[in-house]
Amino acid sequence: MNYPIWDVAFGAGLLIALVAGLHVFVSHFAVGGGLFLVLTERKARRTNDAPLLNWLKSHTKFFVLLTVVFGAVSGVGIWFTIGLISPTATSDLIHIFVWGWAIEWVFFFIEITAALLYLYGWDKLDPKLHEWYGWIYFIAAFASLVVINGIITFMLTPGSWIDVHKFWIGFFNATYLPATFFRTAICIALAGIYALLTASVQKDLDLKARIVRWGALWTVPALIALPLFGWWYIREIPAAIFASARGPMPTATHYAFLAWTLLAVTFVLTLWALLRPKHLHLAFALLVALVALGAMDSFEFVRESVRKPFVIENYLYDNSLYAAAMPGDGGFTIDNLNTVGVLNAATWVQHRTITPGNQVSVGREVFRVECQACHTPNHYRGIHQLIEQRQWDPTTVHAMLSGLALMHNGVMPPFAGTDAERDALAAYVNSLQTITPNPATFTNGKLVFENYCSMCHQDRTDDMLFTSLAPDPKVAADSLKDLTILFPLMPDLKLSEAQRTSLVQWINTQRPAVQHTMNHPPANRPSPASEGGN
Amino acid sequence: MINPSMVPTLDPNPLPAPYWVFKLLLLVTFFLHMLAMNFMMGGAFMAIAARFSSNGSEYRNRIFVDVAKKIPTLLAATITLGIAPLLFVQVIYGQYFYTSSILIAWPWFFVIILLIAAYYGFYFVAYKGKRRPGAAGFVLLASLALVLFIGFIYSNNVTLMQVPSHWAAKYFANPSGWNLNLSEPTLIPRYLHFVTAAIAVGGILLVLLALARWKHDRDYARHLFQFGGKAFMYATMAQFLVGMWFLVSLPRDLRMLFMGDNTPATVLFSAGLLGTVAAIFLMSDALRKDNIRVAAYGVTALTAFIILTMVIMRDILRDAYLEPYFHPHQFPVQTQWAVFPLFLVLFLGGVALWLIMLKRYGLFTSTKPTDI
Repeated sequence: MNYPIWDVAFGAGLLIALVAGLHVFVSHFAVGGGLFLVLTERKARRTNDAPLLNWLKSHTKFFVLLTVVFGAVSGVGIWFTIGLISPTATSDLIHIFVWGWAIEWVFFFIEITAALLYLYGWDKLDPKLHEWYGWIYFIAAFASLVVINGIITFMLTPGSWIDVHKFWIGFFNATYLPATFFRTAICIALAGIYALLTASVQKDLDLKARIVRWGALWTVPALIALPLFGWWYIREIPAAIFASARGPMPTATHYAFLAWTLLAVTFVLTLWALLRPKHLHLAFALLVALVALGAMDSFEFVRESVRKPFVIENYLYDNSLYAAAMPGDGGFTIDNLNTVGVLNAATWVQHRTITPGNQVSVGREVFRVECQACHTPNHYRGIHQLIEQRQWDPTTVHAMLSGLALMHNGVMPPFAGTDAERDALAAYVNSLQTITPNPATFTNGKLVFENYCSMCHQDRTDDMLFTSLAPDPKVAADSLKDLTILFPLMPDLKLSEAQRTSLVQWINTQRPAVQHTMNHPPANRPSPASEGGN
Repeated sequence: MINPSMVPTLDPNPLPAPYWVFKLLLLVTFFLHMLAMNFMMGGAFMAIAARFSSNGSEYRNRIFVDVAKKIPTLLAATITLGIAPLLFVQVIYGQYFYTSSILIAWPWFFVIILLIAAYYGFYFVAYKGKRRPGAAGFVLLASLALVLFIGFIYSNNVTLMQVPSHWAAKYFANPSGWNLNLSEPTLIPRYLHFVTAAIAVGGILLVLLALARWKHDRDYARHLFQFGGKAFMYATMAQFLVGMWFLVSLPRDLRMLFMGDNTPATVLFSAGLLGTVAAIFLMSDALRKDNIRVAAYGVTALTAFIILTMVIMRDILRDAYLEPYFHPHQFPVQTQWAVFPLFLVLFLGGVALWLIMLKRYGLFTSTKPTDI
């Protein structure tokens, strides 16, 4: 709200995913592939393998055309895109880490020059000197990874930087080392996978088999190392953050599952290629690359998702509000917005007051500045679909807006603003309805759970809803009359008697009989949903 | 009516070095970026001109092939040298730069896609130009059109970032980023000012290529020299008109900065003008006397000097536009002594290594023109 919001109907976040998702797949190749070039050159020269050397020449051209053009420009593209979509976070990161970025630029400069000289030098330089350029290329490329990784990991685990604001404290944060090893393993794995691509079109079958075996020698050990580094990586992420990837947050959970599955598939496919290396087809090599791309992007999605609701953990929310007041925050904090209101605090809103006539348009603006960093009205993470699917009527929408911070293990920032602004937001969200919801018509307990409770509670017996509901069905159903008495942060949903009874019935069929007798008092829990992920 | 409230507030993190350090780095790296960009875009323009004016002339076709081969490397240099000013402009002008970028978000985003397309086009021409001159000519034309359009988008952004008072109306009329800054009176002359300069520098690129071939391939080199030298002269003469147009399109108070109101601006403006006149005469004289050295060293150095004056004037103009909002003393500063010296050491070491790489490749000693 300090900056204007780029209003992209299908969801601006998808653009970052598109640009970054493709970039990382090439940029990691740019590092691992560099080492691959120089070591393969050395191997070919030592064994006097002229066909291998010849192939490597054409592989170099492929490498440079892909990394120097697409890799480099899409890297700049990430910068363009994050500046358009998260200008506050970008500005923060630039000011905190500008010397890091500047150092990375120096390495990048060396990297690009060395890549071009290596390519053009194939027929011109003596072998030793040529390899020298290859080594310089690889070292510079790896150094740029080492630098950029400090800034990326900082966003997830800034640790004590938040208190001390020291460059190196933020840079060498908890996940820095495991992420460096993890990404290095990805680089090595990709070097082999890309080699399959250019190997697959070779006519000389013996040569093709040699390259496939040599490539697998890079990919297979790296893929085996990845889970180990991944485990180390996860261990360094505070448990509460990573809990999102293990249940409470659908996106992160799905992608975590996808990442491991696709990684395993990549592994199997690579071994498969080894079985008949002479017959490796381009289509198969492309398939391996595509699956690896899926695995890698799934990992990046998990990394991005578990950080929610923050773009810089514990420092800046996804919607560019600061987590705590500090000098220079511009008033962009939840507390300040709750006091003075969004319309007063935001720079880029048109309405400054709410009247009965402009409620929906004010709500639209509140939505834009507070929600649109992740949601769209009708498309990606569309609110329209969400409320229609769950049959939320206006009172439910209004109540749910009070409980945002509890949803999906806390992946959303709380609503910030005055009550009147929340009303306006609810009015706008309701205006997106194209159906007339009639929630009283559904009394199936499971459906009640899914539509009303599953935003915060999980369908598992160790979730608080299952462990702490009174054993007696009547008492339990009565206790659900006023949810805010159960737990003050819960949305004030009004369920009909039939819905309450069926919900309790369904819950009782889900939990073991012994739990019926357990009756934990619901007090002193930070979040009912936080039970679920541990 | 100025509405300063639309300018976003600074983020809470202080500048990690004094303001002037970033300003200096911005100007130096932007100057280098401009040099590379001018060579790249001007080179592409000259290659096109040679290709479509060839009429079967062997020399013109050779110019096309020889120049086209250089374009991908020049574009790599343009991009690499462009990243640093892109970084430093965000450090000190982020509030303005992000906002104007968001207002023209779609065109700004498309820069990346257009650039990738143009880049691959240039590579196609560099690799296939000799064997398939017909197709390559059109691909080069398309790639040049793309980089010209990218330049136009840049001009839109940098003119828009200077006028916060225009932002609100533009954004609220269209928050989805489908804007340009076409209503800005300085936009077209400013853009043409840059393009014309690039054509002149494209002429210099040919003169430099002529120098590299002067000993071994005199006839062809002379043709390059004449073709490039004349292009430089005519483009620079045209620049007087375009530059004048740009000057008169500026708001009066800003125009007067260069005509007495601001001493450094006036001195730079006069020096730039004199330098330009001198460059035209020097080139004309060198062409008449067939003196490649004067053209290659003298005019090139003079042109670099003129570009430097333009870069500084551009900066003075931007700060004058932003004068109601932007004041360097607004920045809290907390120099990161734990890392800033490391950057300086790595930067100097990087430049040294870069020079060694070029030297070992033979770029400084080779008697034959190299491939890159």
